[in-house]
Amino acid sequence: MSTYWPWWAGAAGLALVTITYTLLTDRSFGVSSAWDRVLHWRSERRIERMDEEFADDRALADALAAATAEHFGTRPGSGSGSGVTTSPPVAYGKPQPLESDSEPTPSESPSAASLRPVPLVTQAALLVSIFLGGLIAAVASGRFQLRFDMGPGFKDLVTADPAAMIGLLFLGGVLVGFGTRLAGGCSSGHGLSGCGRLRPVSIVATAVFFGTAVAVSFLLWKVI
Amino acid sequence: MRTRGTILLANIITGLALGFTVTNIGFGDYAELNRMFTFQDLRMFFSFAGAVGIIVCVFALLRVRRTPGRIHAGVIPGAVLFGTGWAISGGCPAIPIVQVASGYLPALVTLVGVAVGIGLCRWANARYFHLDRGSCGL
Repeated sequence: MSTYWPWWAGAAGLALVTITYTLLTDRSFGVSSAWDRVLHWRSERRIERMDEEFADDRALADALAAATAEHFGTRPGSGSGSGVTTSPPVAYGKPQPLESDSEPTPSESPSAASLRPVPLVTQAALLVSIFLGGLIAAVASGRFQLRFDMGPGFKDLVTADPAAMIGLLFLGGVLVGFGTRLAGGCSSGHGLSGCGRLRPVSIVATAVFFGTAVAVSFLLWKVI
Repeated sequence: MRTRGTILLANIITGLALGFTVTNIGFGDYAELNRMFTFQDLRMFFSFAGAVGIIVCVFALLRVRRTPGRIHAGVIPGAVLFGTGWAISGGCPAIPIVQVASGYLPALVTLVGVAVGIGLCRWANARYFHLDRGSCGL
């Protein structure tokens, strides 16, 4: 059995994963979000279908502008039946300054399209790929072994009783699932991507979940 | 804007690399995880902290844009629950997957628990909390 990677190799690996994903997709990644979307695939698919109808930002803007012009009668041919309009003809068809002109240009701020969630199927692919990556690593390193316990560490520190083990793993899983979605992220989303971007919310969340895990682990190790 | 195919490819590469990396670091090994949290062995802690340090530097150099995020009422309670669950089960949302991939079959129960917890959170938020939780990304 081989040993685990040294810390610097682990740091480089985790950093490479996060940076590569961000550069390829221009987004942050988070495993708990992927879980959330895959588990609620029905509602996510419904949202995706609605989103696809408005996928083209320019077409949507044009449609809204046309509908607005139609409603207020400011488009050529949409005025009164006499053909007399209240606005000077020069205004028609000429781009009018809008408040949004003061907004950042698309190159400075992301478009609505780039802020849309990534397709659901890509999230499922992420979870399956994590499994395959873990399987390749376990087999290649000689650590793969089918077992019905969680290893000597769990036996010594938590419980050796199979029924209690199942109950605690389930409880722990529920807390992880509930907690990560309530906090808006997990160790990959808040911990790597969020802290990497120096987001205050991610720094706070990471400090709190690491601190709590330290406290509970000390309780398991020293007290219980 | 990235295409659907690019994002799919990125997710596959990222998933494979993440699974491979965290398995080789030892995040799926409960004894290693407990040794990190109790400061008996700082190797995995340095891996995580070192990764964050590298990411901060590279993102600053590449001027990667910040994503929005605010500290809402769910952040601290959620992080406390997550930290407790992580210490008990040894799994953050990605880790039970690699535990199963390494042959730890009981980690399937953790995965079921994670799924139940995520579903409960969505239900409770819609019914009681009404938090605009945002997301860590995606």
